[in-house]
Amino acid sequence: MQNWQKLKNDPSRIEYLKVRSWVIDAIRIFFKQQQFLELETPLLVHSPDTEPSIAVFDTELVCFDGTRRTGYLTTSPEFSLKKMLAGGVGNCFQICKAFRNGEVGSHRHNPEFTILEWYRVNADYTQVMKDCEELLLFMLRYITDRKAKQDDIALGKPESTVTTLTYQDYEYDLSLGWEKLSVVEAFAKYAGVDEATLLSQEGLLQKAREKGYSVESHTTHQEVFDQIFMNEIEHHLGATKPTIIYEYLASQAALARKKPSDPRYAERFEFYIAGLELGNAFSELTDWKEQEERLLSDVAERKSLGLPSFEIDHHFVDAVKSGFPSTGGIAVGVDRLVMLMSNASSIADTLAIPSQDLFEV
Amino acid sequence: MTIKAGNIRKGVYIEFKGSPHLVTDTSFMSPGKGSAVMRCRLKNVRTGNTQEFTYKSQEDVEALDVESKKMQFLYNDGSDVVLMQPDTFEQVSVSHNLIGEKIGLLTPEVMVHVLFYDDMALGVSFPPKVRLKVVYAESSTAGNTQGQAMKEVELETGLKLHVPIFIKQDEIVVVDTDTLKYVSRG
Repeated sequence: MQNWQKLKNDPSRIEYLKVRSWVIDAIRIFFKQQQFLELETPLLVHSPDTEPSIAVFDTELVCFDGTRRTGYLTTSPEFSLKKMLAGGVGNCFQICKAFRNGEVGSHRHNPEFTILEWYRVNADYTQVMKDCEELLLFMLRYITDRKAKQDDIALGKPESTVTTLTYQDYEYDLSLGWEKLSVVEAFAKYAGVDEATLLSQEGLLQKAREKGYSVESHTTHQEVFDQIFMNEIEHHLGATKPTIIYEYLASQAALARKKPSDPRYAERFEFYIAGLELGNAFSELTDWKEQEERLLSDVAERKSLGLPSFEIDHHFVDAVKSGFPSTGGIAVGVDRLVMLMSNASSIADTLAIPSQDLFEV
Repeated sequence: MTIKAGNIRKGVYIEFKGSPHLVTDTSFMSPGKGSAVMRCRLKNVRTGNTQEFTYKSQEDVEALDVESKKMQFLYNDGSDVVLMQPDTFEQVSVSHNLIGEKIGLLTPEVMVHVLFYDDMALGVSFPPKVRLKVVYAESSTAGNTQGQAMKEVELETGLKLHVPIFIKQDEIVVVDTDTLKYVSRG
């Protein structure tokens, strides 16, 4: 059944769409009150994110003279926003669509999804942790107010003082002071893997073998890391209050800088509520050489895996090279925030028209 | 048959820790650099227990060849139901655990598909809709007045169902076997 038919049969489902609208209102109010500039950057680009595990949608740009260039739909607005940061916009945020192929038919993914990114200059990932705590509490209270007074567009300080979010019959305490666990602590606490084993290539593969996972000659450290994380750790996260998992391994830095006092780790965190991963944050990498090397190594990895590959975004590298403020930034899945705030068990409920309705997959 | 975990689909049967399991939900994810995983919700067809497991997408998984036989419900036998293949009179017992709340859809008129692996019944698959008789309905007109007015009735199988208030005792109703919800008058 198409979503519009479900809505017609059950008019109460409009609540999901209202909560979506309020979640976006809450984000805008929260950041604009702090003088963050809202930006709009392209969704159609020539050089997308190189991350090998993300499948990109491609298309074609046709010019008047018939020349054709390959174009891609962005998997996140990160490169464009960082160019703007290099240009000097200061604190900024964007709410837009992002596209990731191959992620259809799951209750927590849609191939076209709404992403929120914000960047705070002269800051690092610890300030972004604080932003997350404050944003979620503000959002909960703002939506509580809007539910009570449907059409009264409340600006400013929410009247509600609620701190408890109820989601799928469980309660979560969103008051400030979230649980914080480093990756090393989480592996020790929930999976019985110590730091030396976690950091060792062969050690972690051996541990995975002992735990009964399939480990073959081509199995990588990252694969067993993810498999142990998802099978043994993730469901413990955000069980009664949000959990921040921080300091990923340097090999998992993505676009984060390495921790200055211990370069085995990267200043990156993710946060979870109810086992749902909601955001991925970095102290942004400002070393252009390292940035360029990581992009080139991604492209090489894409080629070795037989994945489509593309030119790296040289303008992005140039932007970082031109001088870039120390910045903390994050990408947050807005649809998942809507799931939590509207008590939806599936992402499809929160979307006006989920992709599976259009493509019948 | 060996398949890559990335190709596991909802509704297939796979071997997990030595037992046959039905895959009831899947999500394909790319959680980290260069790694893709397939998270599956698995139902053990022997015990009915459900658990989640995340595979590496390139990992080999044993998919089970499942045979389907059209059968008719005969009777309840303790914690099992007994079904029969009408042309051969072959009978089989299927544990309630494998059918769950859909047991309330079984009547001798309903033809279902029983799924077998190595001669062991794994589960029962229903036609999209079944017709069931209302054996108890209050005649009151009050009820849940938000949206469509509904009331709860009892069907011939003991199943409790929310139906519009105009449905009366002894009427036949059509039930969606996927959602266990009222569709229409029969």
